[in-house]
Amino acid sequence: MLSYLAKIKQAVESRPAELAKAREKGAKVVGYFCSYVPEEIIHALRLIPVRLEYGGDEHLVDIGGRYVSKNNCVFIREAVGMFAEKKDPFVRNSDKVAVATTCLQIYRLAELVNHFFQVPTAILVVPRSFYYPEGRKFFQKEMGNFARELETFSGKKLDAGALRDSIELYKNIRQTLREIYKYQAKDPAIIDWRDVFQVIHAGFYLDREYYLSLLKYLLAELMEEEKKVQAGEVDALEEKPRILLAGSIIARGDNKIINMIDRMGGRIVADDLCTGQRFFAGLEVKDYSLEGLADAYLDKVPCASLPYPFPLETDRRLANLSQLIDECRAEGMIYHTLRYCDPFTFKANETKQFFKDKVAFMEIHTEYAPSDEGAIMTRVEAFMELIFNLRASKKVLVK
Amino acid sequence: MTANQECFYAGVDIGSVTAKTVILKDGVIVGRATIPTAVSSEKSGLAALGKALENAALSRSDLKYTIATGYGRIAAPYANKTITEITCHAKGANYLNPKTRTIIDMGGQDCKAMRVNEEGHVIDFVLNDKCAAGTGRFLEVVTRVFELTLDELGPLSVKSRDNERVPISSTCTVFAESEIVSLMARGESPENILSGVHYAIAHRIAGMFTRTGVEDEVFFSGGVAKNIGMRKALEDTMEKKIVVSENEDPQLVGALGAALLARERYLAKTS
Repeated sequence: MLSYLAKIKQAVESRPAELAKAREKGAKVVGYFCSYVPEEIIHALRLIPVRLEYGGDEHLVDIGGRYVSKNNCVFIREAVGMFAEKKDPFVRNSDKVAVATTCLQIYRLAELVNHFFQVPTAILVVPRSFYYPEGRKFFQKEMGNFARELETFSGKKLDAGALRDSIELYKNIRQTLREIYKYQAKDPAIIDWRDVFQVIHAGFYLDREYYLSLLKYLLAELMEEEKKVQAGEVDALEEKPRILLAGSIIARGDNKIINMIDRMGGRIVADDLCTGQRFFAGLEVKDYSLEGLADAYLDKVPCASLPYPFPLETDRRLANLSQLIDECRAEGMIYHTLRYCDPFTFKANETKQFFKDKVAFMEIHTEYAPSDEGAIMTRVEAFMELIFNLRASKKVLVK
Repeated sequence: MTANQECFYAGVDIGSVTAKTVILKDGVIVGRATIPTAVSSEKSGLAALGKALENAALSRSDLKYTIATGYGRIAAPYANKTITEITCHAKGANYLNPKTRTIIDMGGQDCKAMRVNEEGHVIDFVLNDKCAAGTGRFLEVVTRVFELTLDELGPLSVKSRDNERVPISSTCTVFAESEIVSLMARGESPENILSGVHYAIAHRIAGMFTRTGVEDEVFFSGGVAKNIGMRKALEDTMEKKIVVSENEDPQLVGALGAALLARERYLAKTS
């Protein structure tokens, strides 16, 4: 029994009220977009970091569409809609919005919330040339600027000791998440990928120290559960197709593709989403300083938004996918792209070609509206049939 | 299962424009039917099934296994199982032409590009079901403009000489219709315009194959495969020889594949 899954869920539900109370007592909340924003700095300044990411709500997309172009992705349109409506408790409890400029859509969001809703923003500029020493130096400086801006906002100076402690805390959080993540790909499954996805999301909202303790308890429960489960016979031909879910952001509330995979009899055993595995993938802080943070964030598994004009064999995004395919034994990659999420859409074909001998690949290009569900259902169903057939004849893929 | 017992299987392909059925006796086709799809997919599927059974002098109780496919498979309670039309088309194409490695399927309202292996298993696919360009619907619209039947389009279009073909610039069916009317008013001949229409469609289909690649032999299925103008335009555009089934109606490939899979599943279950 994984009782800590329910506890984590409850904790998220009571979090908005907690944040409101904390703010009454003078605490300040920094709501942020994009996994390149270093929570460690926010946390070290005793500000409360909350990652804002929601999807799947067509009503909010519509509202946001009045402020932003239809050529902005639905994720951003919905985000703008949330600021316009101001009903969401996490948005309402954000005193400042921090944004990393990795992706141009999110950068646009920062311009807009400032312009239309007077929401104070802090911008962290992420260099495109992250592979050149000049780019790395630039980002180290940017980290300093970002920290200075938040110091002004918090009324405190960034203490080196506090920063070290925060870095250590996040290291532990990531390490524990990595351990937990292994359990969802095991056979038989000890925990569902979907539950792990929710656990990762919980970490965007909860008090981070409390979150770490919950994670540790959950990990202990997983280890116990594993001992109890018989390593039974899993019929290799009958088991559900093992799917790696990749591509554009899948935010909380955007269940369309996840539900469809489930409905069509697939089992997600891995993901490289920035709201999932990529949140902690390859992020290792070696030097406990602002410069060290800058280096670590540039060295983590990158977002497709960062152009990589070098041989694909050296692209860490692809290396991460490759490792996930091997470790989680994925048979098919469903590469989900949101319309106007250009970087992931642009890179769909090269990802497909890169893995052509390794895994079956299918792109699903969609938005939040349910109008194309029939079309997606046919594709996902056909993909599952494809995997079953190839499995039966023990073939991998394409020419 | 005794050696004398005959086994019948049915594949029902309920498309958005027509519903098709193929009945197999063991591995041989003994019944077929194609009817227009009505509002109820379930009724259309049953009607097509009923007609094919009638043609084969059989009844539903003679069937060992039925598979429904196509867009209307979601409302087919009479079927033992449903399988997507992608998998069924591959199976049918492989049966009709075992050397098939690439399939172009152009139906009433969608078109598909598929790559298959030697066993008739799909290894890659791309669908267009978002718009009418590249589908039978586009050609239907064109018949109205020229006051012709679908059967007349192809033969008339091949009368055009390559250097006289009129290019159609609109990718949208609705706008293309207006464009064609303007071209007629301008005095362009119907065969030259029609040739342009067929090549515009072929160009679009060829675009789908840049995502999957093309490997010989290329098999053309679906109702539009009956159009010789479309075949010629595809061969020229894709620079590949296109194979169309000589013996079997290309429109039945999906239903045939479904029936073959019905047989496969039944034999696997009972062995």
